[in-house]
Amino acid sequence: MTTTRLTRYDRAMLRLMNDRRGQAWHATAARRRLAVALHITLTVALGGLMTHLFLAESEPLWTIPVMAVLLLPWMVATGVINGATRGLLELRAHVLDERQSAERSHVLARAHRVTTLLLLAAAAALLITGGLAGDAPKAYAAPLLIAVLVVHWVMPLWVAGLRAQDEPAEDDVLEAAALGR
Amino acid sequence: MSEQVHNRLAMVRAERKVSRQSLAEAVGAHYQTIGYIERGQYNPSLDLALKISKFFGLPVEALFSLEPFRPLTDEVYGRNQP
Repeated sequence: MTTTRLTRYDRAMLRLMNDRRGQAWHATAARRRLAVALHITLTVALGGLMTHLFLAESEPLWTIPVMAVLLLPWMVATGVINGATRGLLELRAHVLDERQSAERSHVLARAHRVTTLLLLAAAAALLITGGLAGDAPKAYAAPLLIAVLVVHWVMPLWVAGLRAQDEPAEDDVLEAAALGR
Repeated sequence: MSEQVHNRLAMVRAERKVSRQSLAEAVGAHYQTIGYIERGQYNPSLDLALKISKFFGLPVEALFSLEPFRPLTDEVYGRNQP
């Protein structure tokens, strides 16, 4: 980190991602898991509604305000996970230090493995349903593709959120203990 | 790969009254990384270990070791290890 000159954008993002005001939201592993679970639930709901909106024959316009309402907590949950990881996936590579770079590589590799397994399961499901009902692959291909795309996009965030660790003990507490104060 | 590197970073940092944030800025790391090194949850690269040692003006072996450090009082007052 900081071996290259940081741009104004880098510094702004670094400040934003390290803003400690929302620390209580992701201070414990249980809260981080809750944020990830909420994010997964909202992503599934939003993806389902969007698929329904575009593929249903009846043009269900009621899904638009529902999606708008769900988008707000989705963005909050995204912010909480990004806060928990200190912007591991949002900051540019040269802004990260060696531990963060290694962690980002680890997160992306694990997300890639999980996504590969999900793609395999999706392809198998499509082929099996195709074998049972001839036109099923054609009917389900588009929503499945959207679902896979969304999962591929957000999986690193979920993995990073679940791998985030607790903040090290506060400095003043440590110093007081070490100095016998 | 997962060899534990022991360190005295927390003690030296507290002794010199250096905050994690200022040490992190001086060596080009994130303040959490300093905390994880102190907790033994992350082993720094040689580059980072040398930068930290240089910051404190100490040889790298004074801060990092593959063997657990003896308590400082034992070293100062010469008590033999049990």
